[in-house]
Amino acid sequence: MTTATASPAPSSLAIGDIELDVLRHGAGKPLLLLHGFQNVDPGAAFLNMLGDHAAIIAPSHPGFGKSSRPKDVDTVYDLVHCYLSMLDNMPEEKVTLMGFSFGGWLAAEIAVKAGRRIDRLILVDALGIKISDRETPDIFDVFNMHPDEVRQRSWHDPATHAPDYDALDDGQLANISRNWEALCRYGWHPYMYNPQLKRWLGQIKVPTLVLWGASDGIVKPAYGEAYAKLIPGARFETIPAAGHHPHIEQPRAFVDRVSAFLKA
Amino acid sequence: MDAWFQNEVTYPHVAPEVLNAADSVRATLPNKYCDPAISANLFAEAIDEYLLCDDLGINVICTEHHAGINSLLASNPMLLAILAAQTKKVRILSLGTLITLRPDPVRIAEEYATADVISRGRLEIGFVKSGLSEYASNQASPIDNGDRYWEAIDLISKALSHQEGVFSWEGKHFTHRHVNIWPRPYQPTLPRMWSATGDPSTAGDVGRRDMVQVLVLRGPEGTKVAFAANRRARAAAGMPKAKTDRFAYAALLAVGDTHEEGVKMGEKLMWFLNTSLRSAPQFGAMLPGLAPPHAAPGIYRTKPVATKPGETASAAANAAALMNSTAEQAMARGILFAGSPETVYKQIMDFHESVGGFDHLSMIGRSGFMTHAETTKSMTLFGKEVLPRLKEVKTVTAGFNQPD
Repeated sequence: MTTATASPAPSSLAIGDIELDVLRHGAGKPLLLLHGFQNVDPGAAFLNMLGDHAAIIAPSHPGFGKSSRPKDVDTVYDLVHCYLSMLDNMPEEKVTLMGFSFGGWLAAEIAVKAGRRIDRLILVDALGIKISDRETPDIFDVFNMHPDEVRQRSWHDPATHAPDYDALDDGQLANISRNWEALCRYGWHPYMYNPQLKRWLGQIKVPTLVLWGASDGIVKPAYGEAYAKLIPGARFETIPAAGHHPHIEQPRAFVDRVSAFLKA
Repeated sequence: MDAWFQNEVTYPHVAPEVLNAADSVRATLPNKYCDPAISANLFAEAIDEYLLCDDLGINVICTEHHAGINSLLASNPMLLAILAAQTKKVRILSLGTLITLRPDPVRIAEEYATADVISRGRLEIGFVKSGLSEYASNQASPIDNGDRYWEAIDLISKALSHQEGVFSWEGKHFTHRHVNIWPRPYQPTLPRMWSATGDPSTAGDVGRRDMVQVLVLRGPEGTKVAFAANRRARAAAGMPKAKTDRFAYAALLAVGDTHEEGVKMGEKLMWFLNTSLRSAPQFGAMLPGLAPPHAAPGIYRTKPVATKPGETASAAANAAALMNSTAEQAMARGILFAGSPETVYKQIMDFHESVGGFDHLSMIGRSGFMTHAETTKSMTLFGKEVLPRLKEVKTVTAGFNQPD
């Protein structure tokens, strides 16, 4: 069991020469949370709710947030090995692994490679595989399409939930920009998937929940359903009135689904 | 001073209502709006203009851009091969195959060696960092574009100069285990190399490598900053001071019989800036890694903050600033030289003086709705009445009148 923290607390963790900025919150069994396009906001409502059910450990990926990125860390291979190394150094025998979006891709890769260290896997609007034919992109191109359309497709209710850049301070905007660059570095090509991952998902042996925002326009729920079918025994669930970031748009429903899965 | 000519082969023949409805005139505009018969005429006229350069003693520049009305020259080596075969006297500068967008620099070296042989040694090789909508059009990551640029140049240079059989290249961005190009270049030493850049950091690299630095449509202030960075980098590296033959400037240029006629043609050239540069934010300011994170407030907010004094504008910011100018404004900003032979000569020499000298002037001589007849008239007036006077401008130490 990990000691509870009153509010989301940043700390740092060295993985070799990588300094990871890590957010820790809550009490219970450890839950390693791998973020999506943006690192986890310490003020996010879902953190406090989820902290009642698990001890959340949320690193920013190398190059995201305040985490360092040595110059030769520039592929998903590096990120996966960074987190495998982190798992190796954790005192707990097993952790729950949860990944959002891009972090869901990482979580799936890690679950294939290090199933012994994971007791449960939760993929939330995860990227990482290719499902459709060669002329049908599965993952909306967030880099090549107009930012207004990316915004529209990312949220069920963009007017309420999409970030208002005019209301953010310089530091927050710089953070978003740094994350965007890092995301592009890791995910440009092949665009947000590993062509080899799909064939190995069948090796995942741990209970798995594939959770999806019903209104996700970045990766549609049908993709999530197909993802779940490739993982033996995985459950697929959708959250109504949520887009690509259900933990932000519907934090209560999101935490209820996760906590029910953790207890099951 | 030498003069060079370039025609980007723009495609202005798309209905304004189509252009106005499009969020970008590059990368995403459907090619159903590109009439092949019109394209064929535009290429035929452009090739005629390039061949006229051979008579006028104006060297030629062959550029490359992708998927937009700003240029139909998607394949630099295609035009390069035609110019290599059909011109007989002038130097030919490829400026250039967009090396950071292509996966195999060795193939590019083969194309350049072939063009040099066909032209019997008249090739000069220029490199452009590319960017903006061309990342999307070419499936190239905007991240580490600068690193790819230099590694590709290193590999191309070695492939063009290595004559002792197979060598291997296992770099960060490019691998090619078995390099041994045939034909080898016609020129006994590596053809002169150019680099188009306005940013001071890259300018320093260009200086240290002793390449020709060309500034395109940057105006006197941006040009001065970039040239100075080049000179400083050379000095810091212990290199001798550069001569003006290491510096070049490219501007829109039109010459008429009278000043008024030249300016009227210059107004037509402004189409390039006012219409063909319009691009969507994902191909400009919002590109990942284009600007450092601390610049984000000026990019993400709907009311961007101005560039701070001492900072140079990014390529995207420079493109944005170029749009919506009149011919007079463009002339005042040193991006358009237009008028009679006399007034154009004066504009060029004023600019030359203000930036500390350069030996190469590139005339972007046709764009938009400027006709073939107007272009050849302007070129002929330039070649016969301006160029002889420019030829008298001697090579001297670069930056001769600058504070550094």
